[in-house]
Amino acid sequence: MITFISVKKPVVVGKDLEVVAVAVTKKTHNNRELAQLLAAASCALIGGISPIVNAADSWDVDSAFLLYSESDGRVSAAEPVISATKNYDEETKLTFKIAADTLTGASPNGATASDHVQIFTSPSGKSSYNATTGEQPLDDTFKDTRIALSSNWTAPIDRDWAYGVGGYLSKEHDYQSLGVNGSLTRYLNQKNTTLTLGLNLSNDTVNPEGGIPTGLIQVPLNNLGSEFTQRSDAENKNLIDAVFGVTQIINRKTIMQFNYALSTSSGYLTDPYKIISVIDDNAGTNYGGNFQSSGRDLYLYEKRPDSRLKQSIYWQTKYQFDNDDILDVSYRYMFDDWGVNSHTIDAKYRFRFDNQYLEPQLRWYTQSKADFYHRYLNSSDYTNADFASADYRLGDLDTYTLGLKYGYKFADETELYTRFSLYHQESSGDKGYGKLTSQELYPGLDAAMLILGYKF
Amino acid sequence: MKLIEKLLIDSSFNPSSHPNPSLWQESEHAYKIQFECMASNCSILIESKQLDLVKTAAKSAIIEAWRIEYKFSRYQTDNTFTKIHSNVDAIQKLDTETAQLMIFANHAYNASQGLFDITSGILRKVWKFDGSDNLPENSAVNELLTIVGWEKLGWNPNNPTELTLPSGMELDFGGIGKEYAVDKMLSICRQIFSKTTAAILINCGGDLACSGKRLNGESWKVGIESINDPTKATLIVALSSGALATSGDSRRFLMKDGIRYSHVLNPTTGWAMTDAPRSVTVGAPTCVNAGIVSTLALLKGPEAESFLASLDMDYWISN
Repeated sequence: MITFISVKKPVVVGKDLEVVAVAVTKKTHNNRELAQLLAAASCALIGGISPIVNAADSWDVDSAFLLYSESDGRVSAAEPVISATKNYDEETKLTFKIAADTLTGASPNGATASDHVQIFTSPSGKSSYNATTGEQPLDDTFKDTRIALSSNWTAPIDRDWAYGVGGYLSKEHDYQSLGVNGSLTRYLNQKNTTLTLGLNLSNDTVNPEGGIPTGLIQVPLNNLGSEFTQRSDAENKNLIDAVFGVTQIINRKTIMQFNYALSTSSGYLTDPYKIISVIDDNAGTNYGGNFQSSGRDLYLYEKRPDSRLKQSIYWQTKYQFDNDDILDVSYRYMFDDWGVNSHTIDAKYRFRFDNQYLEPQLRWYTQSKADFYHRYLNSSDYTNADFASADYRLGDLDTYTLGLKYGYKFADETELYTRFSLYHQESSGDKGYGKLTSQELYPGLDAAMLILGYKF
Repeated sequence: MKLIEKLLIDSSFNPSSHPNPSLWQESEHAYKIQFECMASNCSILIESKQLDLVKTAAKSAIIEAWRIEYKFSRYQTDNTFTKIHSNVDAIQKLDTETAQLMIFANHAYNASQGLFDITSGILRKVWKFDGSDNLPENSAVNELLTIVGWEKLGWNPNNPTELTLPSGMELDFGGIGKEYAVDKMLSICRQIFSKTTAAILINCGGDLACSGKRLNGESWKVGIESINDPTKATLIVALSSGALATSGDSRRFLMKDGIRYSHVLNPTTGWAMTDAPRSVTVGAPTCVNAGIVSTLALLKGPEAESFLASLDMDYWISN
């Protein structure tokens, strides 16, 4: 017959054993000292084990360096990114991220190529640049440095609910963005289903070189033009994004996610640096050539509507094979009230080896043009246009990305990874008329991107 | 429970030629590694999403346990223990780890007013706890007592790496070795999992230590063996951090004239305790700490319970 003559605390549930009360009574004073001495001696022997050290209580840092280079000496970028995450436990974490990028090179200003040399006013109006015969007009005054900081905190509320809050700040010399976001997560059926509602608010300020140009007005010869005197320094835009997502664990090998996102933006949505050519559609020798006004080629500043409503649906599935390889496939459909709709298909396959992986990626994106996208405007009716943009990013567009990522995990769980990708872009649309038909209106673009990263 | 594989450990790390440990999967992210060490069935429980780290941690921890076992074993001929005992009556140099154990033994000796004494192991030469009624002769006990006593050692805490061991005396690291190995194993596992989330519990024949709560936030449920039926747990202790150690052995005693002589020997008298509890389990931040307190409680004999109560530590006694 066994009896426990003393079971001081029959079952100590949820109570840390080392956090025993420290009350010292006179009667037991000596023994308390003895206990403390033995505890100290034990710790010294083991090498100072701190019982509160939690394995998860450390920073995970991901540092990466990104190089981006477009063909034909167009834009190139270098961007170091550091992100640090402190995991307090499985579900509580704080993340900080800092990125700095430097962009240099030339980007298309929106004007069409021409059969004669074109002279363009720089955005500040202080200088000008040229495009030779048949050359795609590129604004090479473009150079920018951006710094972005963001921070995010996520934590559980209780067993079934979790939340996240975050902030974002990015700054470049002519653009600032300030954002806040929040999310609420609900877990269902033993966390096999996760519902997430996310909200993101952002306020951006555009303060371009030379001020805010007037939309659909002729680009002045220089900053002495009267248009420059009417300019305001800066404009704002506001963005609200809401995402509703469902993540479902289908089985031990498959996880699926559906998202619906709604995004509205309002305010100054125009690109202040983009212009559009006006083409002469009067019959005659200049048919299809640049239309002249005030004795020079007519270019108008572009103008976009002051609001945009975007909606998108997204589906992603990840499947883990028996050999631990992972297939990750996603599809997104986006449409908006500018008339743009797009499809994106992205597939990645991760070959897993002992402590290495290789991940090829294939991505295809196709987009239909915005209602007010015009490669150029016609001299006969350009004054009737309410909105117009020749920005290729609003035109009919297909892009292809081919990527390969390689990662190596060291024994100490740090990871080195590198990703190389090739990007190809093709635009299409109306071929013009007369002299314009001999110009390349929709040049493609090739770019290469290299990322080198280290997680520790 | 599904057997995943045998963990292959190079024979150079397995000086006592134990069988290879086996790695089992208990559920999706819960693994158990079973191995032998110090004549006990030992196990490491790890909850982690990273099986590769689980293997690394288990191997490193087991290599460490086997190293400690071999280093201080009485039954080897070419280890630290033998080296110390073959070098008597002269100043010898101790390695850092051994010196640390000596410092700890010194603290334990002083704190227990001589009840915990690692030089007393030699008394087992006359005490054979075989369940019989053969008590040793008084004279034999007294003769051995002349070579028992921490203070007879030529050792000074101010210079802990130097020792002069009088001829005939013996150091017995067995009383703390297993608990020490448990703590060291946990420390190694923690280090390996320092960058990721994991829950770890090390168990060497009932002496155990854990890294904290389990991944699901619950404590580890530890069954304390019944002293009559070792296959049955009669008490479940919820361990959410720290360590447990149990002292006592119901199968090692002598019985004469209705008096039960426990296997715990009082180093000052050389005699077995007659009214000590049969088993004492103590909870403490480290396994070494739990072990020393539970051993000390047994050495307090009938005072064991009031002694434990005065420490304000968690404990469980069975008689």
